[in-house]
Amino acid sequence: MKRIATLLLAFTGCCSLYAQQSCDEALSVTEGQYNVSFNDGSEVPPNCIDTAIATMGVWYSYTATENHNISISTNVEDVTNTDTRIMLYSGDCENLTCIDGDDDSGGNFTSFITFSAMAGETFIFAFENNWNSDDFSFVLTEMPYNPPMFTPQDVTLSGAYKNCVADLNGDYLDDIVSPVEGFVNVLYQMEDGTFTSAQLTAPSTVFMPGWSMAAGDYDGNGYNDLLYGNGSGAAIMLADNEGTSFSEKIESNPEFFLFSQRTNFVDINNDGNLDAFVCHDVQPNVYFLNNGEDGYEFIQGGLGDYPDGGNYGSIWVDYDNDNDPDLFIAKCRGGGSMAAMNELHRNDGDGVFTIVASIDTNESNMADMIQTWSSAWADYDNDGDMDALVGASSFANGGHKFMVNNGDGTFTDGTEGSGYDDFTGINNEHVAHDFNNDGFVDVFGGGNAIMMNNGDMTFTPMTIDFGHGPIGDLNNDGFLDVFTGTKIYYNNGNDNNWMKITLEGVDSNRNGIGARVEIHASTGTWTQQIRDVRSGDGFRYMSSLNVHFGLGLTETVDQLVIKWPSGVVDIVNNPQINQTTHVTEGETVLSISDVENNLFKLYPNPAKDYIQVEGQNIEITRALIYTVNGRIVSDSQITNNTISVQELAQGTYAVILQDNTGKYHTSKIIKE
Amino acid sequence: MKSLTLYIIVLFSTIVTLFSCGEDDSGEYSELPNTSKVVMDLNAVPYPKLSDYNFFEGEMKSLIPVEGVIPYDLNSTLFTDYALKKRFVWMPENVRASYVSDTDILNFPDGAVLIKNFYYNNVQPDNSTRIIETRLMIKKDGKWTFANYVWNDEQTEASFSMNGSFTNITWQQGDETKTTNYRIPSRVECFTCHKSQQDSLPIGPKPQNLNKLFNYSDGTKNQLTKWVELGYLENNLPTGITTSTDWTDKTQPLELRVRSYLDINCAHCHREGSHCDYRPIRLAFNETVTPSNLGICIEPQEFINNSLTHIISRGSTQRSEMYYRLNSVLENERMPLLGRTIQHTEALELMDEWISSMEEPCP
Repeated sequence: MKRIATLLLAFTGCCSLYAQQSCDEALSVTEGQYNVSFNDGSEVPPNCIDTAIATMGVWYSYTATENHNISISTNVEDVTNTDTRIMLYSGDCENLTCIDGDDDSGGNFTSFITFSAMAGETFIFAFENNWNSDDFSFVLTEMPYNPPMFTPQDVTLSGAYKNCVADLNGDYLDDIVSPVEGFVNVLYQMEDGTFTSAQLTAPSTVFMPGWSMAAGDYDGNGYNDLLYGNGSGAAIMLADNEGTSFSEKIESNPEFFLFSQRTNFVDINNDGNLDAFVCHDVQPNVYFLNNGEDGYEFIQGGLGDYPDGGNYGSIWVDYDNDNDPDLFIAKCRGGGSMAAMNELHRNDGDGVFTIVASIDTNESNMADMIQTWSSAWADYDNDGDMDALVGASSFANGGHKFMVNNGDGTFTDGTEGSGYDDFTGINNEHVAHDFNNDGFVDVFGGGNAIMMNNGDMTFTPMTIDFGHGPIGDLNNDGFLDVFTGTKIYYNNGNDNNWMKITLEGVDSNRNGIGARVEIHASTGTWTQQIRDVRSGDGFRYMSSLNVHFGLGLTETVDQLVIKWPSGVVDIVNNPQINQTTHVTEGETVLSISDVENNLFKLYPNPAKDYIQVEGQNIEITRALIYTVNGRIVSDSQITNNTISVQELAQGTYAVILQDNTGKYHTSKIIKE
Repeated sequence: MKSLTLYIIVLFSTIVTLFSCGEDDSGEYSELPNTSKVVMDLNAVPYPKLSDYNFFEGEMKSLIPVEGVIPYDLNSTLFTDYALKKRFVWMPENVRASYVSDTDILNFPDGAVLIKNFYYNNVQPDNSTRIIETRLMIKKDGKWTFANYVWNDEQTEASFSMNGSFTNITWQQGDETKTTNYRIPSRVECFTCHKSQQDSLPIGPKPQNLNKLFNYSDGTKNQLTKWVELGYLENNLPTGITTSTDWTDKTQPLELRVRSYLDINCAHCHREGSHCDYRPIRLAFNETVTPSNLGICIEPQEFINNSLTHIISRGSTQRSEMYYRLNSVLENERMPLLGRTIQHTEALELMDEWISSMEEPCP
């Protein structure tokens, strides 16, 4: 076939036998169908997909006459499909830059690629013969311009564990972290969105993070430390006091076999020090309980004790709104083993946990034998409590389950009609983020799809052409990006507004991990949103510790509330949108004044025993009382708008009052 | 409930075995002469030292068995970073194993012990032999117990340890010098591969794997026949046994070699009712007669990259996730999950040959 075609070309005397054989000779094409033949000696296109090496290429260029979305497909009707690969470049032939590449997205091993082209813009694309050199055809289609959600960009970073996006130099910008033996390679994000690379020395460990990574400031020195989950143990790499190297390590006992899965930094006993939690694949879970003074206790037991494990995806989430992180464990195990039963452990404070879902109890309705490696938790309906998508890794023992928080410590199965009942994509990774900043949290999960939250507890899959990776804002534009190891998939953004919040704990752990962050608004498609600050979600990756909210078209946020693990509550009224707000624990308490407000008055003030909240249409349900130095002295439920001050010492205090709609009000009181 | 039932079944079958053995003692079996020097007090094992069992005579590192300690081999063996293995079996007097099926491990009597020595030849720098560990499985009260013994540097003694550890080893493998940080497994790792529900079970000694010739000191004989002769195996074997093959034997059919390799290396996790049966492959020797159980033209559930379209993509090694995982040394990608940290080059060649030999591509 090829020979005949060549012969025909020779007869017609057309141009050259070797047209399209190099970038310089790329055939300029417009919308239409084209036949492709490989020729020996042609220029091999630079590989934009992987490290495979082809031997021939066929070259084309496309210049847009107006703004278009372009698709190129090698799956052409009435033409035999062959196993093709396509590469797409910008730039010129001396300076080709990979835009994208595709192997099999067209089905039946054909290639399919889409991109946006602006009027006058030229792209070069080429096919290569990695799989075979047979003839084929492609169709280039011009479609109405509609910008894609993500645009890939190549990233050069060495290492086999490119699983972490977290700030390493204390500027709260998300950096890209890649541990290697004896070092940690890092791409520091600069203010202008570019990256500067560095190699930080690190103690050598055999426990490299083959299974998962977490980041958090374990020793509270202002720089994030790293937790490596390895198949034989776990290691904590401690950053020095300048954040310029990792100077010390803590390792699990080499004589204790630890088959790590998901890892998390979390303050398990709420003593203000982050602990390091590690899921154990084949035994009860373990954790390093940090005493805050360079010491720790290595503990196995109490947080997922099924004898032969099955622990894959731990996630710390305050599902019962009592301001401490509870633990849900996504579990997996074949053979009908009960090790697959998912578990929920309710944190009752001070390190005491009660099991509310397991093989023994299902009082929360979260015990399930789905084969799952991770669950994605968020307040999907913005009603003030955390719901869960328990994501299937296999449909062998049931499909995805979308569990709606009833607000009373139990959950209702809301899978039916949610879009998850007929969604067949499966994955080990399920994470919850608002990717389109519409104010409703989406789920990045199965089958390379983001399930976009429609805002009514239903989800619609949006197919993407890349796999999972750590997530963060890698150009500081308020839209979340994904790092896949070789590329950053930059979120192209839209007109929606956003807020980011960065935290600095004082009494609580430095990162504020375990804090509940809320925003409130009066008008728009939502009136409240909540996030839990956590280190380690999904199965393998460590995503940004910064809190991100999409706001939709909402322009005014009335209140930003941070409920710290210590009990301190910070309130920022009318926070700025489309920028990052940094909150140090207790800082807003210090600025509470007794400015008159038109909602209520406190009387008497000064007071001896009781203070009355006097106002129309206000019912106060909770009062937090702080010293003027920002230290919390009491947190109590109140009735009849009456605050007791009997127990207080003489002096001036700041108070935060929560009303029955969930809003917060601040003032000052004086105890006589 | 299920494990309780299983326990009862195991217990019951053990009683039956003991009973029937007692009955048959004077019958058709030749009795083992009471000469075994092995020391086996089931109330005292596992002993602190390997020498306490007296399995070997002379210098222990020569692994010359005392009478009653019988060497055996399997058609195909588990790859553990190229470690060589010497296997032995011992049973107390007047008890014997019995046949269950071609694919199930023999039903061993209490007191039976499987002895597996892991060693390397041509260890650098001086081309010496180094025995790293001796793994025992002892049957006690109807259940199998692990006992692992780690050899000292002097190669004079091995001590009981179930904690697991790493040891670096560099050796000459053909024309290549190879190095690995060899993993001596902990009890938990032993159990992860050797479990059936909550019970531990041996993996190798199934009739399908034992049915082969072995070169004994007094001549070559089929292992199962020899075991019957020795009184180690009840003579209830069927006439034909569906048998795996030596995967390195290039005279054997390609697919049979592949199925034999996959059975011994993978089936402890990938068979019906096992650790990983939520994934679609079933790799036990009796299951791989079905092409889809081998993953042929089955889409993988775990995304690694776009090229890996099937678990086995007919004709394309580069598109086959099973090959990718057998080739990978990253701990989250590699298969098997435990026991291998470096590439098994010869097995990869076998897999490549097998996958490449399939002509019709997957639809």
